[in-house]
Amino acid sequence: MSRPWRDEVAIYLAPRRLALVRRGGLRRRVLAAAEVPVPAGPAADLGPLFTRLGEVLADSTWHRASVRAVVADHPWARYVVVPWLDSRLGASARLAHARYLLGDTYGDAVADWAVTLSEAPPGRSCVACAMPPGLRSSLEDALAPAELALLSLRPRLVVAFNAWRRHLPANDAWFVSLDDGSLSAVHLRQGAWDRVHMARLSPDWALELERLQAFARLTRDAKGSGRMFVDGPAWMRRKVGGSNGLEWLTEGEGDEEPGTPGGELALLRRVNA
Amino acid sequence: MTGRARPVRLDFVAPVHGAPLAGAVLLALGLAATVVLGLAFEGALTERGRLDAALGAKAPPRQSAPTPEALKRAAESAAVERELAVPWTRLLAELEGAARDSATSVALLQVEPDAAKQLVRITAEVRALPDALAYLKRLQKSAVLAHPMLESHERRKDDPEHPLRIKLSAEWHT
Repeated sequence: MSRPWRDEVAIYLAPRRLALVRRGGLRRRVLAAAEVPVPAGPAADLGPLFTRLGEVLADSTWHRASVRAVVADHPWARYVVVPWLDSRLGASARLAHARYLLGDTYGDAVADWAVTLSEAPPGRSCVACAMPPGLRSSLEDALAPAELALLSLRPRLVVAFNAWRRHLPANDAWFVSLDDGSLSAVHLRQGAWDRVHMARLSPDWALELERLQAFARLTRDAKGSGRMFVDGPAWMRRKVGGSNGLEWLTEGEGDEEPGTPGGELALLRRVNA
Repeated sequence: MTGRARPVRLDFVAPVHGAPLAGAVLLALGLAATVVLGLAFEGALTERGRLDAALGAKAPPRQSAPTPEALKRAAESAAVERELAVPWTRLLAELEGAARDSATSVALLQVEPDAAKQLVRITAEVRALPDALAYLKRLQKSAVLAHPMLESHERRKDDPEHPLRIKLSAEWHT
């Protein structure tokens, strides 16, 4: 658990950019913020990202704090919804079950990825997420020289969903998180995820928005409204305006999860700006 | 809308069931209360020890087995106390009064009290035995004496008048 008096640095890790926000003091004010491009490298290659992160963290502005890291969904996070099984499974068996579902959905590419499961009460499905095996250790190696302690490592979709969840209907609604060239979409039923989809986007945003709207129409239940809530970059929101049946989650509405430092939300807002 | 979407608690580093800040605060408060109570208890113990010590200084020493010297002193004290308790004035007044009231003269020779037994021994001389009996009857009416008895009598042949020497005993009332 984080020491309440210690500064926290939220770091957003994406293939083409890094974003950092430092918060501190009793009121957790923003003390420093930065967005840094990452030199282009091979897709999903962690090397350029962590090389650049190490350069940024050489600045004492970021030293000696707790770190909450957020990882871009594409290409470093994969999700599946793991249904509840009536048979009583131990933790390792539930993890094996989640690995099987991930392999079934994404193939052998995720076979050696690190997997973690969300907390869920008995009888309810949970969410499994996979990340590349070397991501956490590479991140910790980059943080160590700056005396930064890794406190949390979560994928973007989870952080964004938790930030906006109070504004989402519990039933038959889509939450879509748009990032640099990728889309992650979650369908809600009885307040929980029951479907999750990920897709890469083309540079043609107008085309992608049309596809998104078509997706919403196709997946809409006969009984429900099928509302689609979008968390995306501000420039895209401005470009689209208020039309087309999409409900844009606008800055200033998002809640900070109780117990979750606001640094991550501020970070995502900054990323989305 | 039926309720709200539930949060997804998923993290690759932090435990899912991580203790919230409120828990840490409660823990800290509990520890602080324990320390405060411990200090208060320590203070109460110290105060009790101090009061015990003060009470011990004022309390009489505990009784131990009496030494022979102490027993002797106690016996002497009791004897003195008994001697002091003998009602000499009333006793002598009663004996002399009885002697005067008798028809014949009674000469009191010796009055020897035994304080331990509350007994007085009287030695006197009379002319004849009836005189001794009359004196005894008079003593039996006394409010100070109880159970007067004639213990012995003896004719004094060495005396020219041949008086009768008698010895009596009586208990006295305190």
